[in-house]
Amino acid sequence: MGTISGCSSMGVEPWERDVLAKEEMQLTSDPVEAALDDHIYFSKEASSGGRGFGGGGCGCN
Amino acid sequence: MAADVAVTKGSMMSNHSKLSITGALAAATCTLLGSGLPEPVQAQEESGWDFNSALLYYGEDGDRVQDLSLNVLARRTFLDDKFLSLGLTVDALTGASPNGALPQSNAQTFTRPSGEKTYTTPADELPLDDTFQDTRVAITASWQQPLGRLFQLSVGASASAEYDYTHAGLNAKLARDFNQRNTTVSAGVAVAHDTLDPVGRTPIGLAPMLGEEDLSNRIGDQTKDVLDVVFGVTQVFTKNLLMQFNYSYSDASGYLNDPYKILSIVDGVSGDAIPTNEFGNDGPSQLNVYESRPDERVKHSFFTQAKYYMGGKVLDVSYRYMTDDWEIDSHTVDLRYRWPISDKRYVEPHIRFYTQSEAEFYRASLIDGQALPEYASADYRLGNFDAITAGLKYGWKTGGGNDMSVRLEFYQQSGSIPSGQLIGNQLSRDNYPDLNAVILQYSYRFGR
Repeated sequence: MGTISGCSSMGVEPWERDVLAKEEMQLTSDPVEAALDDHIYFSKEASSGGRGFGGGGCGCN
Repeated sequence: MAADVAVTKGSMMSNHSKLSITGALAAATCTLLGSGLPEPVQAQEESGWDFNSALLYYGEDGDRVQDLSLNVLARRTFLDDKFLSLGLTVDALTGASPNGALPQSNAQTFTRPSGEKTYTTPADELPLDDTFQDTRVAITASWQQPLGRLFQLSVGASASAEYDYTHAGLNAKLARDFNQRNTTVSAGVAVAHDTLDPVGRTPIGLAPMLGEEDLSNRIGDQTKDVLDVVFGVTQVFTKNLLMQFNYSYSDASGYLNDPYKILSIVDGVSGDAIPTNEFGNDGPSQLNVYESRPDERVKHSFFTQAKYYMGGKVLDVSYRYMTDDWEIDSHTVDLRYRWPISDKRYVEPHIRFYTQSEAEFYRASLIDGQALPEYASADYRLGNFDAITAGLKYGWKTGGGNDMSVRLEFYQQSGSIPSGQLIGNQLSRDNYPDLNAVILQYSYRFGR
């Protein structure tokens, strides 16, 4: 366990990742839905991005 | 509408060793940081395609914007943890959008953006330009692969076209794992070059709306360049808790106006729009000018997200703070709670809160006889408003093992004009009516 140091007290061992590997535990578990939401809010609000790049590429009404 | 956000990166996972599983998780999390919208980790036992498709209806009340959007994201997995993702979006847009002018106690006539005809808004109603109708096609492509044992590289491209707007963009991101892959640090960059070719050509900022067939205050195509940079850290805290922290910088320069938005020119005492007979029945019945925004905008965003697993249920919480040099500040809180109701079915309530302050050059109207400011816009999207989204998703596994879901959400914007900007009769009118919209989406994932 000599590799444990500093911030490695945060985190898990490789064999403890069964839950983290589940699809629903991914930070963006539904990429198409997230893209659609970004599209909507980019068009209707003055903010965009944060999760990823800021988007754009439309003449939004 | 729309964005190049559909650029998507996959993430890797092999079933050969636990280490590669951890790598997959790390890659999946870090992928979020720069690419926009990554795909979830999936256990890939062999190479092949999988598809993520969705049909979305977005509809605003009061005959405002309606959008029907078809989306397909295809991903090819290769045996050596490399991924190719290809996305296609087709939007069909119709409806009406506020033109920026204030409601009046009498009917108002405006020249259409094309300059070819006019349209009239009844008394006491918010002026809506009902001429827009557009089809937008967007494509994305991305490639992701490991670089050595600890790095992940992804590169992508995006393009879109609609009647009056084209977009082209490139992006890249590099991520590195640390600390037994419990920590991932990444940096990404995206550049975009967009071209606007508005119907009836581009109006000059703060130039008056003219009568039919008079395009003398219009100029040619305009361009916009955007640079985005994202730095991020993803940290696994426990076997049930994962968090992400991002900082984003965005610099947009060039033509940043909405070429179809105007402002009313009003009397400094009554607040009423100044009538004009200059154009007879072939032009505006009152004075308006086209909006004008600065030609540069720098935004900073701080974003954090947590995913927490609680015995089968998953809580997803995120917060974003955005501030820019147009003096807009915004806060966004998003909560989702995925709740399995059987082995193959789940429900997911979703609520989102958003608030923003107005741009420094936001003006409800401009006063007749006063010198024009350098910049002014009455676009409600640059105003002071709060918004809430509330909805529910229901998902299930099909007999063939594929995933389907339906979600229904409601979105409401409630804005207010800063009190110091309202004059005379404007105080008694509803200058900033609520925006209400419904979002209905059907999703189908298959092929893996």
